[in-house]
Amino acid sequence: MLTGTLVLSLVGLICTGLLLIATRRFHPNDQEVVTLILKELPQTQCAQCGYPGCRPYAQAIASEDAPINRCPPGGDSTIRALANLLGRPALPLDASGGDGIAKVARIRESECIGCTLCLPACPVDAIIGAPQMLHAIIGEACTGCELCIAPCPVDCIDMLPLDQSEVTPAPAALPCIHCGDCIPVCPRQLTPVQLYQQDQSLDVLVSLRLTDCIECGLCDRVCPSNIPLTKTFILAKQRLADRQTAALDAEQTEQRADQHEARLQVQSVTSIPDSSDDLLARLKGEA
Amino acid sequence: MPEALVILLTTIFVNNFVTVQFLGLCPFMGASQKFDSAIGMAAATTFVLTLASAVSYLVQNYVLAPFDLEYLRIIVFIVIIASLVQFAEIVIRATQPLLHSILGVFIPLITTNCAVLGVALMNVHQAVSFVSAVLYGFGAALGFSLLLIMFAAIREQQPDDNIPMAFRGTAINMISAGLLSLAFMGFTGMD
Repeated sequence: MLTGTLVLSLVGLICTGLLLIATRRFHPNDQEVVTLILKELPQTQCAQCGYPGCRPYAQAIASEDAPINRCPPGGDSTIRALANLLGRPALPLDASGGDGIAKVARIRESECIGCTLCLPACPVDAIIGAPQMLHAIIGEACTGCELCIAPCPVDCIDMLPLDQSEVTPAPAALPCIHCGDCIPVCPRQLTPVQLYQQDQSLDVLVSLRLTDCIECGLCDRVCPSNIPLTKTFILAKQRLADRQTAALDAEQTEQRADQHEARLQVQSVTSIPDSSDDLLARLKGEA
Repeated sequence: MPEALVILLTTIFVNNFVTVQFLGLCPFMGASQKFDSAIGMAAATTFVLTLASAVSYLVQNYVLAPFDLEYLRIIVFIVIIASLVQFAEIVIRATQPLLHSILGVFIPLITTNCAVLGVALMNVHQAVSFVSAVLYGFGAALGFSLLLIMFAAIREQQPDDNIPMAFRGTAINMISAGLLSLAFMGFTGMD
């Protein structure tokens, strides 16, 4: 019993000693993993992952404190790259980091001076604008990284909670119920409900004064079925214009063909004699 | 020398620890998701298995047997294996940090890899000399590595395959492992 205890303690002590020596000799090299992860992150330093920047997030990933799907600016491609690097499964994007509210930038239009300084700052090209023109942010493309705020000289960019109505498409159109609500609102006294029903026949549309439509969109607003009436009218006008252009083209082509024909006829009647024969005859005559 | 070859061939093919004796199945399933990490896992296990069989043979024959302490065999072996695994982890963490982060918990889990303890315990009865004990451990490790890498290579092809919905994931892995095991049964008559 005593020898057993002694032997076991001895084995344990030797192993502990060897492990201690090994720990002193080999230092953990965790920083290299952090660097490799950091290379895959987009470096927007946007803190949407809930960490103060890209490096702290990379450290959290390396120590398995954070999942790999917290980077909204990186999106799916970053998640895939990280999953491949670390051999972990690729998860769907989780944009709920930070304070839990997804935000997008919005320009206060009355204050924007059109300086274009925010355009190059945007890592995802979500700001459109030109010098001396009002800039706007594409809500769907904005990742909320806040990188455009610092360069703005007049501080006219706000971070606002993501407005769903700005991103989601309009509700799907339902069938027309012939309620006639669109008739009284039309400023040109048209009957949009009839125009919509006669959508296929261009001649009927012309007789219903389609070309009088000014595309104001008032009928769209009152339609209880959310039918994009103005859009159908614009398309119909486009078809009408196409048909007119085609008719005009055909007419002009026909005219050109007629003129060509007429010119050929004139040539055959008053045929010009061959100049070389004429010259030869004159030379003979002189001789 | 021919004897050494016989031991190696036997442990790698005929008595393969994974497919014939069904030992070390947890890392076989767990660490075979990617080819690269499977090679790392195979190297770590080979290191631990070979050293563990050598040290356990020495401890068994020069410490436990003379003092008549064979009842302490399992606990002493486990202490030795755990220390070796810890040592391997320290080395990998210092030299191959990415591999360390990919393998993660599977490195400490080599401790509970039944193949490691299994080889150490079988050596008590089978090995006739120190060299044969080391060869036995090394051969077992090579067999395990071969299987692990083969299986990882098979699993890397899976995303391209049209696997029925019900068989996706663990189910198809079990079926592949079973087919691999069947193939290795063909070596049985070679003794």
